[in-house]
Amino acid sequence: MSGGYGRYAAGRVAQAAVVVLLAYAFTFVVISVLPGDPVTSTLRDPQNGFTEEEIAAIVAYYGLDRPVHEQLWESLTRFLVGDFGVSLRSGLPVADLVGEVLWSTVVLALSALVVALVLAFAVAAGVRCLPRGQGVLRAFPSLFLSVPNFVIGLLLINVFAFQLGLFRVIDSEGPTATLFAAIALGIPVSAQVAEVLIANLDHESDQEYAAVARSRGLGRTALLLRHLLKPSSLPVVTVVALTVGELLGGAVITEKIFGRTGVGSLVERSVTTQDLPVLQAVVALAAVVFVVVNLVADLVHPLLDPRVRVGAAAARERAGVAR
Amino acid sequence: MNTSRPSPRRRSPRRALRLVAGLVAAAALAACGSGVAARQGGSGEPRQGGDLTFLIDSLGDTWIPNNSAISSFQGHIWGHVTDKLVYVDENGTTSPWVAREWEQNETATEFTLRLREGVTFSDGTPLDASAVVANLDVWSKGAPDKGINPIGLFPKTYQRAEAVDATTVKVLFSAPTLGFVPTLGYHGSILISPKTLALPAEEQADLSNDIGSGPFTVESWKQGDSVVLKKRPDYDWAPEALDHSGPARLESITYKIVAEPSLRTAAVRSNQADVAYNPSPQELASFKAQGFTTAAPRYLGFVSGFAINTKVAPYDDPRVRQALQHGIDRQEIISTVYTEDWLPAKSFFQSTVPGATDRSADFAFDAAKSAKLLDEAGWAEGADGLRSKDGKALELTLYPNPYLATSKSVDELVAQQLRELGFTVSIQAFDVVTYGERVKFNSPSVAAYEVTRSIIDAGTVAGVLTDANRGENWFGLGQSDPELVRLSAAVAGSSSTEERAPLLDELQEHVLQQGYFIPLTQIVQRLYVQSPKLQGVTYNGVAYANYYTAWLGE
Repeated sequence: MSGGYGRYAAGRVAQAAVVVLLAYAFTFVVISVLPGDPVTSTLRDPQNGFTEEEIAAIVAYYGLDRPVHEQLWESLTRFLVGDFGVSLRSGLPVADLVGEVLWSTVVLALSALVVALVLAFAVAAGVRCLPRGQGVLRAFPSLFLSVPNFVIGLLLINVFAFQLGLFRVIDSEGPTATLFAAIALGIPVSAQVAEVLIANLDHESDQEYAAVARSRGLGRTALLLRHLLKPSSLPVVTVVALTVGELLGGAVITEKIFGRTGVGSLVERSVTTQDLPVLQAVVALAAVVFVVVNLVADLVHPLLDPRVRVGAAAARERAGVAR
Repeated sequence: MNTSRPSPRRRSPRRALRLVAGLVAAAALAACGSGVAARQGGSGEPRQGGDLTFLIDSLGDTWIPNNSAISSFQGHIWGHVTDKLVYVDENGTTSPWVAREWEQNETATEFTLRLREGVTFSDGTPLDASAVVANLDVWSKGAPDKGINPIGLFPKTYQRAEAVDATTVKVLFSAPTLGFVPTLGYHGSILISPKTLALPAEEQADLSNDIGSGPFTVESWKQGDSVVLKKRPDYDWAPEALDHSGPARLESITYKIVAEPSLRTAAVRSNQADVAYNPSPQELASFKAQGFTTAAPRYLGFVSGFAINTKVAPYDDPRVRQALQHGIDRQEIISTVYTEDWLPAKSFFQSTVPGATDRSADFAFDAAKSAKLLDEAGWAEGADGLRSKDGKALELTLYPNPYLATSKSVDELVAQQLRELGFTVSIQAFDVVTYGERVKFNSPSVAAYEVTRSIIDAGTVAGVLTDANRGENWFGLGQSDPELVRLSAAVAGSSSTEERAPLLDELQEHVLQQGYFIPLTQIVQRLYVQSPKLQGVTYNGVAYANYYTAWLGE
């Protein structure tokens, strides 16, 4: 069994490496087929007044005049030894650029996730436990989903920063500003979690074991906490794993509005300026994050539902036999 | 304005030097009297200390000094961290700074700069003649082996510079280069420590390594987020033209990126910041009404307008170009898209450029005249009001300048006006990268190229109008218009402003009457909304706010 698990794990890691490499190469190809390059477009700003020869010299320095396959090969071989190269726009090492913004994004994404989970569980608990007002609470997820997070962000800043003075836009990475940015980013995510959670709670609540518990005189809250919550939370793990993309993607707008640095704003700048080395590094990083998060989700499932463990073990054993 | 600029023509160096010093002193006094700071009131006693917060939409891409010095965003930082050899005020007047005086030979091919003594970079390196030579070389040639650009607008006639002694630099040019000294006050010409210039590009890209001699130093910075500057206590070599000496009054300046324009202005309104850069033009009136200070300083350069490619039919016909020239109602552009802070164009230069003349009659709006010119050229009006000739429509495609936020709105209005005259106008808007790739001078698909460019000296302009000396050949004329060639060469070869002034006027007249350049409006590229507490701000010739002189009042 442990040998089978080792092979399983090695297979997953190998898959992950291929995904990351493909993402890296795919980004390169996609950006390369677009017209122009970041160096030329900067130099061609009519303010600069460069001659064509001056532009050609700089383009040649960056190797951007060489065939695409040569550039890709060089980029890939560098990447394999952990060298992400230098940003074509800023001239700074890509590893430094990504490293500098990573922490800020991790803090924002995790805070937003906490906000989303707290909100989702609060709404779901309200639906199950409150004697009335359930209809209103049930409408919350669709309301949260339909309000774009930039609207929420602007509203929060206007009310809490400018009107109430709870935080300053200049201190955009302080704890209070981070909390409000996390609320703006977390609200739409909470909607998805809450929808799944409410649906599952409804389903579990119709089961026989719930009816038995109720007939024993168990109250709404006790029923929720003791019996319904754990089985209903299983699909939430899957949804949370899927929202990682949203937390990174939605972060572009949230970061911009709250004046934060982060992976989102780095991606936005790199896309608009075709800063290929930065973009490739961020896409590779995103691929790693997705693979790791999905792996973690797979590992958490068995903890919440023993049936999954049996199924997975059986599947691995079947796979081992087949080999 | 011309006469107040150093221009010792056919005089001995010693006499020339005295003249320069005298004129410079007069210019400095004039500048002090007419500066924006004076206009802004600057009331109240200057105070020491205080931390200024400036909200900006971007801080550009790179901090490699040569590659970023002319960026509209990074110029704010460089203006406080570095000094220049000469100071150019908002009226285009050149006065001493690190260069305390200068002289030129009769043909304007050899210049001698005498430097102020005791100036140091913040790393302790002296800002002496050898440091100036190192900077001149890198502005002119860049460092191609490091991927570092030259400064594109630095005179291409530069040959070499040599340090005669610790405070004297001799600079040699291959042809008369009257614009050399004013160009030293251009935002690209920032003096950087030779130690920084020797670093690899990767390390120059780290702003903390970029050492200047300015009144502020970089305390901290974060890419894509903010730059914090702190006052340099031993600074004592400000331009005489500024009404202040010694260290800056403010303790620190924080430049913070807030991408959303309404948040920048709301932050100033709620007292969370002192200055918001680039508010929407329409917001200015309401800010003024509420007691905030707004500033729309004009920079020295070209007005916003179209350079016409005369190789593209039907714009090879002067009558069609002239119809275009007289078919645009510039006043309507100002009243519809802009506010009263924008001025109508008077030539293809902003009117603050020394040597710019009022040629507005050459391109006055006159729809009847345009219609007549088009009729004469054979473009007949159809039943739908659109003109055509031999079955071909009178077409024009406009490509809004992606570097200018209001360009698209202006183009939409221009398109509307030209449609009234029978032009079939389409607008193609691209992002910066695609624009750089698709829209170029002399491209057969681009009949009208939308120009913005800041310049300090009108003499540099002659270089772009034809293809002489690797010129950019804006109108696709090459050497085919003898009058343009004659005037451009004469302007570029002038060795004094007195000799050049009438030639420049003729050049403006010719270019406008021929419809080679279609001016739209004077440009305001930098807009500021600031707290009433902030006082004593000055603006230089390229419209950058200088907070060296500023203070925060009650």
